[in-house]
Amino acid sequence: MTGRRRLGLIAAAATLLAAAPLSSIFDSWTWLFQSILTVVLIAGAAVAARTLRFPTWAQTIAMIFALVLALTWIFPSGKELLIPQPATFTHFADLIRQAGEDTRSYGVPVPDRDGLLFVAVLGIGAVAIVVDLLTAVFRRPALAGLPMLAIYSIPVAVYLDSVPVFPFIIGATGYMWLLVADNVDRVRRFGRRFTGDGRDVDVWEPSPLASAGRRLGMVGVLVAVLLPLAVPTVSGGLLTRLTQSGSGIGLGPGGTGNGQINLFAALSGQLTQNATINIIKVRTNEREPFYLRFGVADVLNADGVGNTAPRGNPMSEGLADPSTQASTDRATYTEYEAEIEVADGLRQNMLPVYNYPTGVDGLKGNWSYDGGQQVLYSTKSTTGNQKYKVTYLRPRYTAAQLRTAEPLDESNGLYREFTAVPADEAVQTRVDELIEDEDTDYDKVRAIYDSFSSKNGFKYNLSTQNTGTASDIAAFLQNKSGYCQQYAAAMTWMVRAAGIPARVAFGFTRGTALDDNTYQITNRNAHAWTEVYLDGFGWVPFDATPAGNVQGSTRSSWAPDVESPAPEASSSAGAAAPGAESSAAPGGVERPEQANDGGGTALDEGVVPDDGSWTPLLVVAGIALFLAILLIPAFRRALLRRRRHAATTGGPAPAVSSTSGVAGDITVTTESARAREDAHAAWDELIDTMVDFRVPVDPTETPRVTTQRLVRDNLLTDNPAEAAALLGRAEERARYARQPMQGAELTAALRQVRTGLAGTATFRTKARATLIPPSVLLSWRLTIADQSGRAAEAMSRLRESASRFNPRRLLSRSR
Amino acid sequence: MTTPTWGEPAGPLTNAEFATATQAIMANIEQVIEGKSATVRLALAVLLAEGHLLIEDVPGVGKTKLAKALARSIDCSVRRIQFTPDLLPSDVTGVSVYNQETRDFEFKPGAVFANLVVGDEINRASPKTQSALLECMEERQVTVDGTTYELQAPFMVIATQNPIEMEGTYPLPEAQRDRFTARIAMGYPDPRAELAMLSGHGDHDPLTDLRAVTDAAMVRRLIATARDVHAAEAVQQYAIALVTATREAPEIRLGASPRSTLQLLRTAKAVAALEGRDYVLPDDLQALAVPVLAHRIIPTADAQLNRRTTDTIVSEIVHRLPLPHDRARNPYDTRDGRTPTSYESRGR
Repeated sequence: MTGRRRLGLIAAAATLLAAAPLSSIFDSWTWLFQSILTVVLIAGAAVAARTLRFPTWAQTIAMIFALVLALTWIFPSGKELLIPQPATFTHFADLIRQAGEDTRSYGVPVPDRDGLLFVAVLGIGAVAIVVDLLTAVFRRPALAGLPMLAIYSIPVAVYLDSVPVFPFIIGATGYMWLLVADNVDRVRRFGRRFTGDGRDVDVWEPSPLASAGRRLGMVGVLVAVLLPLAVPTVSGGLLTRLTQSGSGIGLGPGGTGNGQINLFAALSGQLTQNATINIIKVRTNEREPFYLRFGVADVLNADGVGNTAPRGNPMSEGLADPSTQASTDRATYTEYEAEIEVADGLRQNMLPVYNYPTGVDGLKGNWSYDGGQQVLYSTKSTTGNQKYKVTYLRPRYTAAQLRTAEPLDESNGLYREFTAVPADEAVQTRVDELIEDEDTDYDKVRAIYDSFSSKNGFKYNLSTQNTGTASDIAAFLQNKSGYCQQYAAAMTWMVRAAGIPARVAFGFTRGTALDDNTYQITNRNAHAWTEVYLDGFGWVPFDATPAGNVQGSTRSSWAPDVESPAPEASSSAGAAAPGAESSAAPGGVERPEQANDGGGTALDEGVVPDDGSWTPLLVVAGIALFLAILLIPAFRRALLRRRRHAATTGGPAPAVSSTSGVAGDITVTTESARAREDAHAAWDELIDTMVDFRVPVDPTETPRVTTQRLVRDNLLTDNPAEAAALLGRAEERARYARQPMQGAELTAALRQVRTGLAGTATFRTKARATLIPPSVLLSWRLTIADQSGRAAEAMSRLRESASRFNPRRLLSRSR
Repeated sequence: MTTPTWGEPAGPLTNAEFATATQAIMANIEQVIEGKSATVRLALAVLLAEGHLLIEDVPGVGKTKLAKALARSIDCSVRRIQFTPDLLPSDVTGVSVYNQETRDFEFKPGAVFANLVVGDEINRASPKTQSALLECMEERQVTVDGTTYELQAPFMVIATQNPIEMEGTYPLPEAQRDRFTARIAMGYPDPRAELAMLSGHGDHDPLTDLRAVTDAAMVRRLIATARDVHAAEAVQQYAIALVTATREAPEIRLGASPRSTLQLLRTAKAVAALEGRDYVLPDDLQALAVPVLAHRIIPTADAQLNRRTTDTIVSEIVHRLPLPHDRARNPYDTRDGRTPTSYESRGR
C-alpha cells in the first residue's frame, strides 16, 4: 500500500476518533454508526480514486459524491432509488431546518432526531473530506487539526461550562496519530549520523540520540497537553472543569428521561434567536390575562433547576376542576375562554395554556394532562400549526387572603418534594435574614420577592450566559446580573430555603396587545417565573424578573412590581416596555464574570468581586507579570555581576607578593585563597560578558589565548585591552601559579572590558546583552540539559535493571 | 676527575641569574642561527629538561650548525659522531682493548662520553649502531663487557636527520624515537635572516668565533632551577589528557608513551622557566605538543593514505581538547552556537 493511500485511511480513522466529542451530544450511538458508514464510503472513494490516479479535483468530487450517496441511503426521502433525486435535496433542506428547530428545543443529550443526525453525519463527512485532502493530497496533516477542532467546538458551544474531557482526549489521539503517521520517519531519523557508509543503516537501529528524539517527542506532547491544564483561562482552567460534573446546563431531570426538552435551553433558545418570530396568537375574553404557561421545572439540586417528565392521564378523561379540590378551594375562580393559535414555528410537545384549564377543544393528536404540574403534553404530537380553544379558571386572591394560608406540615408530600435545595450556606443565611421578622408564608415569600429589586443591585442582563447550575444560581445572588431564568430559579431556591414549596414555571408573557382582547406572542415573550404553593390557594405565581425589562410582563395584587413606589396592584402592559432589553441578542460567548473566581468558591468565601473594575487591573497585572518574567534573566545577570564585583573589590588588597624564582612551598593563606577566588569570579564574569556580547567562547583556549583573541577580534585598544590582559593574567596565575596575583583592580578592569565591548558591539547586541543576557539563558539551558541528561541516565539504568526480569531474557537463558 | 652524577643537588638560581644565563646562551647561538629564536629556545629548553633533541629537516638549513652552536656555547665536553653505514656500536659506546703493559683489558670510552653528543645524519647508521644509543640516552650509562659506566651530567644527544633522502638510510626505530624529547624542524630562514646570513657568513664561519658563555656546572644549576617550576594539578591533568588523546585518536595506530608525558611536562617547565615564569601554563603544553609528541606516534594506514602528517593530527588534538579546570565550571562553548556535547551529525 502506498504512503498516500495509507495516509488517507489513517485520515479517515482520525476523523472518526476526532468525532468522539459528539458522543456527549447524542443520547444514543446511532450517529456513530451512520458516521462510520459515511466515512468508510468516503475513504473508499478516496482510495479508489487514488488507485486510478485521478487528479486532485476528481478525488474531491469522488469523495463528495460518496458523502451524498451515504446521506441519501441513511436519510432517504422515500422517492429515490439509490441515486439522489431532486426531491432528496429538498428533503435534506427540510432535515437541516428541522435540525435548527431541534437545537433550540432540545437540551443535551439529544435523542435521535433525524435532523440532528443528518447534520452530524453531514458535518463529519465534510470534515472527513477536508482532512483527507489536507493529509493525503496536500501533505499538511497539521492543518487537518482545524476541521477536527470544528467538531470539538460543538460540545464546547453547547456545554457552556463543563465539557467532558475524555472524548476530547480520544479526538486528540486521532490527531496525534495523523501527525505521527506523517512525521514518524522524521522522528525516526532524528539523531542519526549522516555518514556516507551508513546509508543502509536500519532506522530502527538503537541509538541514544534516536531514543532522545523519541523522548523529546513524548515530552513535547506531554507538555503541550499538560501546560494548558494549569494555565488559568477566563472561564477557569480545564482542571476546574475536570473537577466539575460532566453535564451542562441545568437539565438535571432527576434521573428521568434523557432527551426530553430542556426547558431552560428552550427558553434561552427562544430569547436569543436573532429574529423575532410570531409564534402564538391568543384571543381571550379575560381582560389583562396572566401568562400562558406550558411547563414546570420542579427539581432543584446541585445541577440547578431541572424538570421531570410530566405524567398524567389522557386528556379525554377530563381535566380537574380546581375549585372543588381542597388544596385550591379557597380562591375564587372565574371562567374564561381563550382561542390559541400556534404558528408552525413553535414545535414542542407541551401545550401553552392558561392556568387551570378545564377544557381544550380542537387539538390534533393525543395529549395528556399532568394535574400536578398543570401541564398538557404529548409524546408524539407537537404544537406546530395547532389551533385550539381553552376554557380555563382564573383564580383571584388578595394579599390578605393569601396571608391566611397555613404553613404546610413537614410530613406533607408536597413539602418534601418542593422544598429540597442544594446545600449552600450563603443562600440559607440570606433567606434567614430576609424572613426573620415575617410570620406568615405569604409575608416570607413577599420578603424574598421584594429583595429582587434594583435597590438591592439586581440588574436585568440577557447576555448573561448563566449555565444554571446551583453554584451559578448562588453566584447570581452575588453578582445580581441575569434574566428571567436566574430570577425565577433564584427565587425558587430562596422560597424553598424558607421552607415553602416552590417551582419554576415556563411559558410566555402576555405579549403585545393587537386589540382589546387579542395578543400577539413572539419568541421574545418566552419567560420563566416562580410558583409558590400556598395551602388552599394552590400554586401562586410570583414573577421576580424586573417588569420593565420584560415585554408583556404582568404584575398582580399579591405580587406587585417591586420597583413601583405604590404597592397597589398594577400591571405594565405589554407595550409599556419599549426599552425592553430582551431584544438584545446575546452573542453567546460572554462568560459570567463570577466564573473568574471559580463560581461557588467566591460565594463560600463571601467575596464579591465587583465585576468590571477587576478586569483592567488583571490585565495590567498580567502585563506586568509578563514583563517581569521577561526580565528575570536580566535580573539574574545583574545579581550575578553584583556578587562577583563584590567578590573582586572587597577587602584591603596586600601588596603584590614577590614571585621570585626561589621556589617555596605553596602557601594557601586566606589572602591567596581569597585572591584566587576573586580572580575566578572576575574571569567568570568576563566569560559571561563575552557570551552576552556574542563573542565566541572556546573551552580549549587558555585564559591567555582567550584574552588575546578578545582583544584582537573585538578591536579593543588601550585601557580595555590592558584590562582584558590583566584579567587573563590574574586568572592564569590563580589557576596555575603557586601564588595568585594580588591587589589587582579586577572590578575596574571588568568595567573597562565591558565598556570596550559595548563600544564595538551593534545596538542589537548591546540591547540583548542588557535585557536578555544570553549568558544566563545559556547557563540555564546547560543546567536543564545536564539535569535531563542525568535523568535519562537514571532512566536507562532503571530500565536495565528492570530488563533483568524480562521474561524473554529468562526464556532465552534457560534454553 | 670528579664526574658530576645525576641527581646530585645543585643549587637553583634566582630569576635574574637564570634569565641572564639563558639569555646569554641564546644570544650566543643566535649569532650563528639568525631569525630562529623560537627554535633556539626550544633547543635550549630540551637541554634544560634533560632531554635529547632530534633536528629533522632538509639539507642545508643549519641543523648541524645549531647543534654545534649550542655545544660551543657551553664550556663542556663535546663529541661529534658522523653516522655512516659502516659505523659500529663500539665506536659509539667505547671498547675494551687489551693493554699489554697492564696485561688487562682497558676500557676506551666511545663518543658518547661527553656532555654534548652531536650525532649527525643519525639515520644513515645501521639499526645495530643506532641501538647503541638506547641505553645511554635513557639511562645515561653505558654497559660494555658487563661493566656499567656512568655518563657525565649534563648529557644531551643532539641528532640530525634528513627526512627527504631515503636512499641508504635506516629510519629510526620506534624505541629510539621515543627517547628523543623533541623533534624540531629548522625551516627555511625568512629573506631578511637569509640576507643577514649572507653578509655575516660571507667571509668566514661565525661558528669559529663562538665562545662559551657558560659551563657544565652552570647548566646543572639551570636544570635544577627548571625542575623546580611549579606545575599545577590542572596542568598535569591537561598533559595527561593530551597524551591520552593521542592514544585514543582514531587516526593514530600507536599513541604517545608515558615517557612522553613526563618529557612533555619537563620541557614545559623548562620553557616556562625560560619565559621567566615559575609555573607552567597550558599554553606551554599546547606549544610543545607537536615537537614533543608528533615524532612518537604512528598514524594509521588510512591517515597516511590521506596524507595526514602526525604534526597536523597532534595540533588538531590540541585544538579539540577542552582545558581541564580545577573547579567546576560550565563548559561554555559558543564557537558556533553549540555546546561541546553536541554531535556533529546533521542531516535527515
